[in-house]
Amino acid sequence: MKPAPFDYVRARTLDEALAALDGDSKILAGGQSLVPMLNMRLLRPARLVDINAVAGLDGVRGRPEGGLEIGALIRHTDLLVNPVVAERAPLLAAATAHVGHRAIRNRGTLGGSIAHADPAAELPAALLALDASVVVAGRSGQRRVALDDFLVGALTTALAADEVLVRIETPDARGAGWGFAEVARRPGDFAIAGVAALLRGEGRRCDQARVVAFGAHERPVRLRAAERALDGHDLSTALAASAAAQAAADCRPPDDVHATAAYRSHLVRVLTEQAVRDAVALVTR
Amino acid sequence: MTRWVGRPLPRKEDGRLLAGRGRYLDDVTRPGQLHAAMLRSPHAHARIVGLDAGEAATVPGVHAVLTGADAMAASRPIRPLIPTPVPLDDWCLAVDRVRYAGEPVAAVAAIDRATAEDALERIRVTYEPLPAVVDPEAALRSDSPLLYPALGTNVLWHDVLTYGDVTGAFARADGVLHERFEIQRYASTPLETFGAIAEHDAGLDAYTFWTNDQRPGLTLAILAESLAVPQSRLRLITPDIGGAFGNKRRPAYLLVCALLARRAGRPVKYVEDRLENLGALMHACNGVMDVELAYRGDGTVLALRVRDVADEGRNLISPTQHNLIKLGNIVNGYRIGAVSYEAYSVLTTKCPSGANRGIGKPFMCFAVERAMTLLARRLGLDPAELRLRNYVRRDEMPYTTPPGAQYDSGDYAATLRRALERFDYDGERRRQADGRASGRLLGIGIATSVEPAGTNLASYELITGRRAASGSAEAAMVRVEPDGGVRAAVGDPACGQGYETVVAQIVADELGLTPGDVHVERGFDSATTPWLYLSGNYSNKFSVTDVGAVLGAARAVRDKLVRIAAHRLEVAADDLELADGAVRVRGVPGPGFTLRELARTAYADVLGLPPGEAPGLEARHAHQNPLARPVGADRTVRSQLVFSNAAHCCLVEIDRRTGVVRILRHVVVHDCGRELNPLIVEGMVHGSTVHGLGAALLEEFRYDASGQLLTATFMDYLKPTALDVPDIEVDRLEHPSPFTPLGAKGVGEGGAIPAPAAVASAVEDALAAFDVTVRSLPITPERVWRWLSA
Amino acid sequence: MSDCSIRLRVNGRAVERTVPARRSLADLLREDLGLTGTHVGCEHGVCGACTVLVDGRTARSCLLLAVQLEGAEVTTVEGLTPPAGLSALQEAFRECHALQCGFCTPGMLAAAHELLAENATPTRDEIRAAIAGNLCMCTGYVNIVRAIELAAHRLPR
Repeated sequence: MKPAPFDYVRARTLDEALAALDGDSKILAGGQSLVPMLNMRLLRPARLVDINAVAGLDGVRGRPEGGLEIGALIRHTDLLVNPVVAERAPLLAAATAHVGHRAIRNRGTLGGSIAHADPAAELPAALLALDASVVVAGRSGQRRVALDDFLVGALTTALAADEVLVRIETPDARGAGWGFAEVARRPGDFAIAGVAALLRGEGRRCDQARVVAFGAHERPVRLRAAERALDGHDLSTALAASAAAQAAADCRPPDDVHATAAYRSHLVRVLTEQAVRDAVALVTR
Repeated sequence: MTRWVGRPLPRKEDGRLLAGRGRYLDDVTRPGQLHAAMLRSPHAHARIVGLDAGEAATVPGVHAVLTGADAMAASRPIRPLIPTPVPLDDWCLAVDRVRYAGEPVAAVAAIDRATAEDALERIRVTYEPLPAVVDPEAALRSDSPLLYPALGTNVLWHDVLTYGDVTGAFARADGVLHERFEIQRYASTPLETFGAIAEHDAGLDAYTFWTNDQRPGLTLAILAESLAVPQSRLRLITPDIGGAFGNKRRPAYLLVCALLARRAGRPVKYVEDRLENLGALMHACNGVMDVELAYRGDGTVLALRVRDVADEGRNLISPTQHNLIKLGNIVNGYRIGAVSYEAYSVLTTKCPSGANRGIGKPFMCFAVERAMTLLARRLGLDPAELRLRNYVRRDEMPYTTPPGAQYDSGDYAATLRRALERFDYDGERRRQADGRASGRLLGIGIATSVEPAGTNLASYELITGRRAASGSAEAAMVRVEPDGGVRAAVGDPACGQGYETVVAQIVADELGLTPGDVHVERGFDSATTPWLYLSGNYSNKFSVTDVGAVLGAARAVRDKLVRIAAHRLEVAADDLELADGAVRVRGVPGPGFTLRELARTAYADVLGLPPGEAPGLEARHAHQNPLARPVGADRTVRSQLVFSNAAHCCLVEIDRRTGVVRILRHVVVHDCGRELNPLIVEGMVHGSTVHGLGAALLEEFRYDASGQLLTATFMDYLKPTALDVPDIEVDRLEHPSPFTPLGAKGVGEGGAIPAPAAVASAVEDALAAFDVTVRSLPITPERVWRWLSA
Repeated sequence: MSDCSIRLRVNGRAVERTVPARRSLADLLREDLGLTGTHVGCEHGVCGACTVLVDGRTARSCLLLAVQLEGAEVTTVEGLTPPAGLSALQEAFRECHALQCGFCTPGMLAAAHELLAENATPTRDEIRAAIAGNLCMCTGYVNIVRAIELAAHRLPR
């Protein structure tokens, strides 16, 4: 299983990368999703632009106003052990622990996971629950895009062919409770379905609930009916059940060889219950 | 005297394998070798109306192209295993028709694999799609599309074999349990894929093959016939083999390499990639089995009626294998007096079937063990108790089953009792009840099995009406080299079972050496390894045939060493013994003669030999297991020869919210007779059991209605990882076989046979409150959820 | 189709080669450098047979292009093996019968090596998690877990 031929450019700077990208090129970052597709000849770009050598794209910085700036090239393994992430976005670390296996996590990048946009991927969903934005660099400069706008559909994002995703930003989540639950056929596999939840508290009440399902739609999807069942309500264990009751309303899960839509919807309800329960417990702590 | 056999010695082969110095097929590099790639049909069923490979040949780096038409012109058809009423020409590439998605239609040899794959894209094939046939029962029907219209049917074999008074037994029965079971397509998928290198010597018109083929005897026969070259001008060499389990053979690929090599004038290597392996090499038959079990009110099983439909895919080279071998374990460990077995071997437009770990026996065991557990449920008996009432007893051994299998030894009741004890059955039942009270869904499953070993090829006479191959045999060689070192070789190429160590243990015992003194050849080389048509790695046959061959050769060498020493010492042969690398007078201290000194006499100073003794210190011996016999007039047959047995106890927990099944514990008590190397034996039990667990919960080759494989990569065809299976707890009994030279029985297939049934019973038990019957595999979380929701 | 010139270190030795861009690291190791201890099992990153260490971290060599390894330090099973004999980890594998066909073993050793470098006292669950990305079709994993546990016990803390 050998790829079709391609040219290769090893970019040393972001500008070099941007200059090399066009409609027939692909960015090589972690490669853990891209290279299998090249090997199977499902993708046949004329050129690969390797951005692994571009400096300054893999750092993590806590923002003074709260939240994080994360370089898109950060490896999953590094994100997992980063203390700033653990403190400011533990939901993201929890989601990352479910990604593949160690060797995959050593190479795979956060930016790559977002740009690949697998509907069953953990990280875009966790970031969506965190209200993340992405920063995209193009030849004419950088633009910031809300992640919710950036993720368009299955394996499709708003990233243009000549752009590079450079940074992920998350707002302040201090005091928020979080929960993450998924069901996969085997640990490390893509989820059959999963839920990431983030709840903030305004006094005793739930505020700005985010409940995001993955594997349940063409892209990670905010379960807005479930969120409405949470916002403004007292933070109690009963919240989990009421969120779960509404969870499937915003799903449109696929039927595929691993599961039917009906089962996925069921999982979304069950996993919403679990994630929200865990989030409530952390908020009121 | 056995100093070495029976000891848990770490393996000799591990040094090189651990250091990355093994030599597997893809590690072999022949000078000037080219690399082949195969163009494969995207359609499950289609006519090939046009094929133009001209452009492919012009791609720089391409040295040869082969089409079906080329194969037809340059070779003879591959002979099907089962003679058919009309000839079905089977070439190494599709000629005018493709019959499964992935069937090879053309091949290219180029300077590297990437270039070869580039060239494939320049080959233009025009297909006229035909209707696919995916369901075996649909394929049986007279209105089904036909893979071979000239045959008039998709059924390669249909027969009813009746043993004992089945009708009478059913008439006498207090009740009949009637169930239908299904088994999915799955495969053992060794981590190393299949491959071959072919080299053609134009001067000699001779071919040399390197390949990880586990059936060299069979393959050499096919190569000779299809290439129209006598076997004396063929050489087949196996390197280290990265697992086989039945899957490692596809003579057609060797033929493709041979024809490409001949055209290109250079060696050609082909290694299937994983997608080719999963989609196009071989799957164990999926199938449907109707089982009727006639019983008395006290739970005694009187008779069994089975209708078995085996889906062979597009398999002409080894169909009926899965059906036929079920005769060996159809009554499992039970004293069932009458059996009727109706078998269908049917073609469909899917990947060819082939041997897998256990071949058809896991399905047979699944059906019988499920039926027994369901019978226990119906009668309100404990599933262990029902089995104990029905087992063949130790004092009845050897026991012949209605179809003719002879169980040589074993105490099935003791095996089960030990398993229940190791499992703490009563304790787990109590904990299960406590768990239920707090809402946990814990389940306990029991499954027991006989594990047949060796295959008597005479059984095919049941199908073909004539005897071509028969019996079960293997050949081996032991040689003391001129420098006194010892070398051994067996016609059975090891695929991970540690033969280099076990054979060394056996030879060391015979020759008074240590295993470190005995070099066992890696793999098979038809030029130097003794071999038969029957030679190869299959059916657990090591202890049934290989051991006898090695012993025979070692003993012949031993006797000659003794004769030479007796002559030189002027003593009687009976007064001599071999120990510590020398031959000495028993009980008399002194140097004796070392093997080195005796070798000098045998190879150099030959005037010192006893009168009439030929020079040399080498023996070849072939051992035929004495239990094999021809098919009886009553159609009884010893299809397999020697029988291990095992009991599995499985504890599962089900997450009632998600349906996810976790195996908490899996206990195996097995009896494979004398354990030649307990460390290796235990490893076999672990590995074979995990194969069964994978089949129970994870693995399935699923096809859509148009014959496309939906689970085509390792992302979708799910193998168990270290997080999916528990520590397998193992204990053993040892009832040696009276019919093998060292009393050892088979152990390779082991856990793959009963483990799926144990898991299925455990899941069913966990869901007892939901009145669930598990009739098929794999048990996915979604299936469990549907049961929970019903 | 571009050929690229790369310089890297493999098992401590400097290597310089010109390779097509599409050649995988696995193929570079096996075919260009004759280091056939690294095995190819799937070429889509699932089976783990091809796992090596890149700058001290495990990676699937089937998912890395050789050209990406400019300036990198690659360690294969040959580099995990001492000049004579076996390492403590390898010896533990041998004693515990943690390999049968041996095809997964180089990748397993790389995964085990990474685990033990970070965690000198892994639990059985941690061991299983560390090797969950390496498929073995022969052993059922039981003895591999025992071997890694034994090796951890024997390695200096």
